[in-house]
Amino acid sequence: MSVEKIYVFKLFERFWHWSQASLIIFMLVTGFEVHGSYHLFGFAKAVGYHTIAAWTLIGLWIFAIFWHFTTGEWKQYIPTLEKVEAMIKYYALGMFTHAPHPFRATQLKKHNPLQRLAYLGVMLFIGPLLWFSGWFYLFYSEWNAWGVDKYVSLEWVALFHTAGAFFMLIFLIAHLYLTTAGHTPTSHIKAMITGWEEVE
Amino acid sequence: MLKLIGGFIAGLAFIGIMAYNFASSLMFWEIPSPFGMEETVARIQQNIQNTGNGWTLAGLRNPAKAVEADGGNALPVMMVEACSTRYSGPILKDDTVRFLSILMPCKISVYKKQDGKTYIAGMNAGLMGKMFGPMVGEVMGHVAEDQAKFVIFDASKPAPPMIKGVPGAAGGAAAGGGGGC
Amino acid sequence: MLSKIKIALSTLVAGATVAALTAFATPAPAPAPAQMPANAAAPAQAAMPAATPVPAIKASNSTADHSKFKELQKTFKSAPEVTKACLTCHTEAAKQIQKTKHWTFEFINPETKQKLGKKHVINNFCTAVESNQKFCNACHIGYGWENDKFDFTAEQNVDCVVCHESTGTYRKVPGLSGHPTYKDMEFPPHSGKIVKAPDLSKVAQSVGKTSRANCGSCHFYGGGGDAVKHGDIDSSLTNPPRYLDVHMEKKGLNFSCGTCHMTSAHQVPGSRYAPTAADTKDAAPHMRGKADNSNPSTCQSCHGTKPHPAKMAKLNEHTDKIACQTCHIPEYARGQATKMTWDWSTAGKLTPEGKPITKKDSAGRNAYDSKKGDFTWEDHVIPEYVWFNGKVNYTLRETKLDPSKVVKINSFEGSASDGKSLIWPIKVFRGQQPYDSVSNTLLVPHTFGDDDTSFWSNFNWDKSLEAGMKAANAPYSGKYGFVKTEMSWPITHMVAPKADALTCAQCHSHNGRLKNVTGIYMPGRGDNNKWLDMGGWTIALLTLIGVLLHGAGRIYANRKG
Repeated sequence: MSVEKIYVFKLFERFWHWSQASLIIFMLVTGFEVHGSYHLFGFAKAVGYHTIAAWTLIGLWIFAIFWHFTTGEWKQYIPTLEKVEAMIKYYALGMFTHAPHPFRATQLKKHNPLQRLAYLGVMLFIGPLLWFSGWFYLFYSEWNAWGVDKYVSLEWVALFHTAGAFFMLIFLIAHLYLTTAGHTPTSHIKAMITGWEEVE
Repeated sequence: MLKLIGGFIAGLAFIGIMAYNFASSLMFWEIPSPFGMEETVARIQQNIQNTGNGWTLAGLRNPAKAVEADGGNALPVMMVEACSTRYSGPILKDDTVRFLSILMPCKISVYKKQDGKTYIAGMNAGLMGKMFGPMVGEVMGHVAEDQAKFVIFDASKPAPPMIKGVPGAAGGAAAGGGGGC
Repeated sequence: MLSKIKIALSTLVAGATVAALTAFATPAPAPAPAQMPANAAAPAQAAMPAATPVPAIKASNSTADHSKFKELQKTFKSAPEVTKACLTCHTEAAKQIQKTKHWTFEFINPETKQKLGKKHVINNFCTAVESNQKFCNACHIGYGWENDKFDFTAEQNVDCVVCHESTGTYRKVPGLSGHPTYKDMEFPPHSGKIVKAPDLSKVAQSVGKTSRANCGSCHFYGGGGDAVKHGDIDSSLTNPPRYLDVHMEKKGLNFSCGTCHMTSAHQVPGSRYAPTAADTKDAAPHMRGKADNSNPSTCQSCHGTKPHPAKMAKLNEHTDKIACQTCHIPEYARGQATKMTWDWSTAGKLTPEGKPITKKDSAGRNAYDSKKGDFTWEDHVIPEYVWFNGKVNYTLRETKLDPSKVVKINSFEGSASDGKSLIWPIKVFRGQQPYDSVSNTLLVPHTFGDDDTSFWSNFNWDKSLEAGMKAANAPYSGKYGFVKTEMSWPITHMVAPKADALTCAQCHSHNGRLKNVTGIYMPGRGDNNKWLDMGGWTIALLTLIGVLLHGAGRIYANRKG
């Protein structure tokens, strides 16, 4: 087995990933404080930080969406069921028996099929869930002016937003672990830092 | 070996964090009072006077008043100050621990919190005393025993009047004659 | 007139023997002086004044100096004579007054149609005016209302000077049916304190705009003594320091009551019978002087509905749910303690010799008085909070009550969802008072008087209630009990400096200020969906355990080779 390196993550992508990661973690921390789960910054500051982070993330996403469409990178997230079964088998068994990784990253296909599904899920489900509910949360006092106050209640908005946060937290835990599931435990992480991924 | 040392260091760090977390509750105590502000103060004052061992009232301070004078608001706070020369004397005579005069007179604080209830707080004299040698440890141990008696209330007894001005101790200054500190 | 005064005086003296030192209280208005002998300051009642001379006519911008008016440069034998002198120039003044509830003591709530006003309402302080007019009506802006035969159309019966004089010497003494004393008298009886007869011509010449002390001469003493009733209105507002009232501070804005209660034709706006709970006028400050039906005494009438600066925009988003007062009056009774409970059921205990008793609490306040029962007091009180839309329903004398429950003397209507309510801070005054245990209605006790039936002369409920109900022209079964009652008062005065407003976490936290406010989701209060929280944390934890096990498995597999 020879080890070769390919350039999978471009500079903007890496910047996007890490800034988004820190914003999301920060928003989880401040968000669950606003939720009342613990005391860290104090309610007022937690709300303030959470709001600033939200706007920053929105700005970042605008750039990211623009980048994905101009570069055509959005195609990386087109879901495929091909090899999904193989991936699951690999995570469940193959990893313990030193079976070869069923997926080989290339510049055109840098995510394995499970990653594609997971990231697409984050972007099409968890993201919008948080976005929409967060947006309503943020503009709570405008509901009247928008004419939606009869159909929306803060209780439900908060429920969806919190549910989104839990999904994100669960994704984060799994994601953090699976970063160690590359060619070597650190190869994915190195790739996300340097852009170069070691592949078999 | 490495694991052993690592474990030891981790253990130390854990204890350090715990100590840091609990230091305030080790050095001070806070309990809710079954009575309102003035009645709590009055009953503590009465207890102090009934405890014996040379305890006298040394003052009654209201730090919230200073905030009000400055144009701000603060929920009521009243500090009952008490002193016993039996305990302050030995400490004041020993140069190595004279600096502990900063803890005198002994204070019990009575205050209201946002929940509308009255609370009582004091210093954990017994534990604090142990840090300054056997003599101070013993003296402060007695202080702690007496302090515990200050906050045992007999609700079946009628509320005594609060003693506002303590003679010779205006503004909480140390009392002159009469056995104050 | 004089003979009336003599009667009044002898009444007082006689009543006094039994009645002991305390003077007492009137139901609603609050003449109050003396009620607590303990409270040396209280006797100030109508007179509060002396200690606090009013701003001073000399500094006034008025174009008239009343001390130069010939009509006022004479000796007045009685207060109604002063009124006659006033009316020679102010020809419409008495007519205007006679249309106000300050005069009629009557208010028909336009929404509920309930007949309210001090004449009708039974509260849980001194309970009722009926049969005790001589005493209670020390706080009526008139002279001589001692029974149902009072002439409400007689213009000379209007008391001009109690609201307009500035000497601080004019005082309406309870027991004199609204008159001041015309010769020096001891009041409260046996207190050793002498109320001086005011020099009526000096009083008349001192008139000017109504000051805080003028309004306060009655309103500070509501419920029978200084600070008893409201908690946010007491004599500490005569000359309040900044911490207590940011608008009235003498060195600061120095508002009088009328700055907000902007009065026109003697009609004082602002009402506790029909309050403006949510002033939602978007066009921010109401134009002063503009003729409209809006209430000029709301916070919003000056500050608008978005009063916070841009960097605190989030706070402006709270104004459609939370009354300004909720955050900006963090505690009430910050100047002095207010009465919190009053238990009439323990009244009437006497010494073995048959003498009435008084007891004090640790702070030196009245804790028991044979005439009135048990009291408790508190300062810096954390308000209770309720949804309030401005509609108040009263338990009136004829309203049936359920004695097995706490009777709400008045109940504030409101909810999170009616679109008209805001969260308001209130003082809830709790007590026990007599009710007819057969017909289940509140009773009117006859408390003050030198006759054999008044409670304060003989400490006999049977006689007192019978006489009170007879005077009220109402049926009484002859059987009474004591029922627990609650009365709510909106907190709206004593606005603190902005730095002392509540902070976010004081409400947005578990067990925060609004923990009992229902119908609304508040972040941080723990209103969360318990299932979601439990499920979310559980799955997150299981995921964590899962990946850790997976990782451990990999390490183990690796080792094995």
